[in-house]
Amino acid sequence: MKINVMTDILEANDRIATANSEAFKENGNLVLNLISSPGSGKTSLLEKTGDALKGKLRLGVIAGDIETMRDSERLQKHKIPAVQLTTGSACHLDANMVASALPHVDLKKTDVLVIENVGNLVCPAEFKVGEDHKIVILSVTEGDEKPLKYPLVFRESSLLLINKIDLLKYTNFNLKEAKANARRVHPDLEIIDVSCVTGEGMDEWIAWLNRQYQKKFGTKPRA
Amino acid sequence: MHEMAIARNIVNIAVAAAEKEGATKITRINVVAGELRGIVPEQLTFSFGLMAENTIASGAYLNLEITPVVCRCRKCQDEFVVKGYHYLCTKCGSQDVETLSGMGLRVKDIEVD
Repeated sequence: MKINVMTDILEANDRIATANSEAFKENGNLVLNLISSPGSGKTSLLEKTGDALKGKLRLGVIAGDIETMRDSERLQKHKIPAVQLTTGSACHLDANMVASALPHVDLKKTDVLVIENVGNLVCPAEFKVGEDHKIVILSVTEGDEKPLKYPLVFRESSLLLINKIDLLKYTNFNLKEAKANARRVHPDLEIIDVSCVTGEGMDEWIAWLNRQYQKKFGTKPRA
Repeated sequence: MHEMAIARNIVNIAVAAAEKEGATKITRINVVAGELRGIVPEQLTFSFGLMAENTIASGAYLNLEITPVVCRCRKCQDEFVVKGYHYLCTKCGSQDVETLSGMGLRVKDIEVD
């Protein structure tokens, strides 16, 4: 006997993601799901971002890692409230894991909540966690062909940050090619070149954050 | 290995649907996945085998149908299949295209005893 099912396989995840997203809206949080390979500079970017936003938008972080509390410890040194999620062996955060971290985040005192996903360009792209935007980081030491190898994350992201731009001259990374590859899979993808070392592009990145916050809540961020 | 999480959900959905109809054994599960999902069939089959153990889906055949990414050009309204993730209208060359399909991921139907 055949039984018609037609059920979305990620429905259970998406339902929780929607609930998370409602909680974020109610609490005034712009939520960003930050995805990249391991070692591309997610935590460094957040340290710099926290410093740049001081006295303006209040940043909070939920950091996902397979093991260790290192990322949240690094962020706390920069006075960024951070909750660490250790996933054990899971290669991505899902909506339920993020929901389990929410009681430990002071959402009322957070303007921008970044969910720092597990370092991986494949699996995190599949699971909505309740974010407003996915942001993908590609660092110049990884290679300019990555958007073609891992198209989904580049297709799903609103913004691509090309990080470690200060190292460009030491690599064979072709910046023009990388951007063309990214726009081949996502023609209207926004792209910002950044360096957490020299600070290049940080103003543009902070302006992007402010713009998104304003778009979502219709108010100017506290200056 | 997001295939493991997907396999677990497939088993849960199939078992729930079978039990609702009073079935005691699932013999086949038909899954439709968009190409954009980047599912590795071998990995999904392997993960499914593990997840189905000790359930009524144990031993069931998992049939995976991959559907292509189809887009429509917003300029000339032409519909085309995206090859190699190249989002470019094959007729007029515009990059202003919307995705119609290729992201789906569902259990279509199951066969039971």
